[in-house]
Amino acid sequence: MAIFMGNKVAVIVGTTTISDHVSTVSLNREVEAVTITSMNDTVQNMIGGIEVSSVSLEVFNDFAAASVNSLFEDAIGTKLAIKLIPVTGTVSATNPSYSMSCLITQWTPISGSTDSAMTASVTLPVTALSKSTSA
Amino acid sequence: MVPSTVRANLKTALTSITGLRVMDYVPDSTNVPTNNAFAVIGQLSMNYDYTLNRGFDSATCNIIVMVGRMSEKDGQSRLDGLLQSSGSTSIKAAIEADKTLSGAVQTLRVVSASPGTITSANIDYLSYQYSVELIG
Repeated sequence: MAIFMGNKVAVIVGTTTISDHVSTVSLNREVEAVTITSMNDTVQNMIGGIEVSSVSLEVFNDFAAASVNSLFEDAIGTKLAIKLIPVTGTVSATNPSYSMSCLITQWTPISGSTDSAMTASVTLPVTALSKSTSA
Repeated sequence: MVPSTVRANLKTALTSITGLRVMDYVPDSTNVPTNNAFAVIGQLSMNYDYTLNRGFDSATCNIIVMVGRMSEKDGQSRLDGLLQSSGSTSIKAAIEADKTLSGAVQTLRVVSASPGTITSANIDYLSYQYSVELIG
């Protein structure tokens, strides 16, 4: 694998691939830094806490049946399975998939302006995450 | 988005305007009808990868509309009618009547119209250049 463009990311919500309605996607993996600085320390000390990852999507909205709006709006307050693959196609050691459960804390069914397509920009907390090199 | 289909369907949309002669390619020469309007659908300016994984592209298409100069007033009046945002002579209304161009694109919008002149065979014609944004 070499450097590659980010325009072929597969975005799968449940069993529906919505890549053709997504302009940007990012998965931010982060852990909390827990301070354990003690009296004898001269520099603050920390250990890794729990993971607080999130996934951000810029989506072109579509009210067609089973399209993006119904997928997200109907799931507000519940969790959705979201899977991301860096390059659409076979998952491998050099093209791993990230499967996650995301709490749908927000959705923007209407965000209109006179000069652009209707989009929804969301950042969703990840409540479970696994990385796979085979599926 | 298939450019030739987009141009052909833009032509179909514009032919709903009575008396407007439309070409869906750029001609080598023009025979501008006297005291009527003539539209040329230009080549698409394409921006690839509007969405992920070769989902959709975006494009801009310029449409040039010119009028014969039987008299200056008649020509400008004809262009005024085409420039309206609504009504049976409106270019914007004719194109946006079906924003998918019979399924050729996801959506479109007639963004702007700019006045100018086109010179053909040493004759200056009054014109407007329309800009159409397409996603598909």
